[in-house]
Amino acid sequence: MKQREIDVAVIGAGPAGLAAAIKAKEEGAESVVILERAEELGGLLSQCVHNGWGLLYFNEDLTGPQYAARFIEKANDLKVGYQLESMVIGMSADRELVAVSIKEGHLRFKPKAVVLAMGCRERTAFNIGIPGTRPAGLFTAGTCQRFVNIEGFLPGERIVILGSGDIGMIMARRLTLEGAKVEAIVEILPYIGGLVRNQVQCVRDFNIPLLLEHTVSNIHGEKRIEAVTISKVDSNREPIPGTEKRIECDTLLTSVGLIPENELSLMAGVELDPITGGPIVDESRQTNIPGIFAGGNCVHVNDLVDNVSWEAELAGASAARFASGRKPLKKGKIAVKPGRNIRYIVPQTITGENEVTLYMRVSSPEERVRIKVGDIMTKAFLVVQPSEMIKLDLSLTQLSQLKEGTRELTVECEKRGGK
Amino acid sequence: MTKEERIICVGCPLACEVRLTIDDKGEVIEIADNKCKEGKKYAIEEYKNPVRILTATVLTRESKHALLPVRTNKPILKWMLRQGMYEIAKVEAKPPVRAGQSLITNLLDTGADLVASADLVD
Repeated sequence: MKQREIDVAVIGAGPAGLAAAIKAKEEGAESVVILERAEELGGLLSQCVHNGWGLLYFNEDLTGPQYAARFIEKANDLKVGYQLESMVIGMSADRELVAVSIKEGHLRFKPKAVVLAMGCRERTAFNIGIPGTRPAGLFTAGTCQRFVNIEGFLPGERIVILGSGDIGMIMARRLTLEGAKVEAIVEILPYIGGLVRNQVQCVRDFNIPLLLEHTVSNIHGEKRIEAVTISKVDSNREPIPGTEKRIECDTLLTSVGLIPENELSLMAGVELDPITGGPIVDESRQTNIPGIFAGGNCVHVNDLVDNVSWEAELAGASAARFASGRKPLKKGKIAVKPGRNIRYIVPQTITGENEVTLYMRVSSPEERVRIKVGDIMTKAFLVVQPSEMIKLDLSLTQLSQLKEGTRELTVECEKRGGK
Repeated sequence: MTKEERIICVGCPLACEVRLTIDDKGEVIEIADNKCKEGKKYAIEEYKNPVRILTATVLTRESKHALLPVRTNKPILKWMLRQGMYEIAKVEAKPPVRAGQSLITNLLDTGADLVASADLVD
């Protein structure tokens, strides 16, 4: 068993972990170590070979591996430490970490500060309960992405994709270009789950049928998938009898959402937001447990990696400051509450003393709206949609309008008048 | 004779299906159904020059990694994507390859090179 002195330990070497570790180092933490269960740094970025990464952060159109390489290079230059093939399996409220390593066995760490950067994982067919048999050929879109982009296998030739999340649409294009036939993308909601850019460049460019308000109502096949039945759904998202259609296929991919990974957070008593599924944080990305910070997709699932990097940097900077023993960061005491048609807001609390970016999603699509943050800010939008995150920057001038002793700040999505 | 083209704008989640009327010389003579001026700009550009970055993987040999991710260093016309894949299928990468290194120069006369988008070092 080994024990080491560490200022900041970062759990996970994906985009969040890399950005947090770099920032912690830049902010003066001496020993920063990333703990990563995979063989390489970069997390999911290595299998995301498509472009569209870094448009905001670098103002360049990069692929996933290129985006990762920028951060890995910087981490190496700054001498950020990392421990690969080491999975953290335990964490306590006093920041004792237990990890298992293929090479070194059982490891223990007692860092001065921890950044949670575990990212998220995919919901599966079991999570959403598709009826029918369970033959081979049923994969999540992300697993399929790993097969196609890392391992070099094409998992099937005739594919149906359930859910129109970004990974599903991206795999529709990738599989098509690799010679498979994507028979259909089936989405239960009346609108797509991913970005419009992907709908156009991954689905429409290749004339792939996209069926909204439909679902897979049955899976057929014994050893291997032979076909699926799809049905139109009613307003309660229940299949409408009589609308069944059989599609011959050998593979069904699911792209039905992502879940933040927080088993470790729960072990340490970190309080989670039931809506985001991630830790409740303030503007410095502090959790309720002193010295434990969180950033990236384990806090809430983002649609753009650029935001993951930015948010994780906040966590990294705060962790470095905590580890240094300087004056502790203030806790956010003003609760930022979701009002009409707002599903969630991160951070959930703010101090009101620092500039802050609020990240939020709406509950349902709406046109011609304005988003109101208490009575200190409003911004008009032509359209808002759950799949596209909204970012609002609150300046110190705006925050100074908050009344003394304010404990709650409600964010609402209001319908605008006019045509 | 005029014809009609429909282009979905990717500028925002509104995803306007912009309707372009094209004359027999291929010039855009009318634009409708866009809800803002960005949509108009996007639709014209997308009609005249619908380009995409092509990303894929190539097989490797003598490497512990099965594949190397690749991309075009410039966007190419979207109807060249499938044809590009046939060229990519002919390439094999052997370590060491550095990110940015060209594997096919001037892919199908598009003016774009196919480059490695990661290092291949074992």
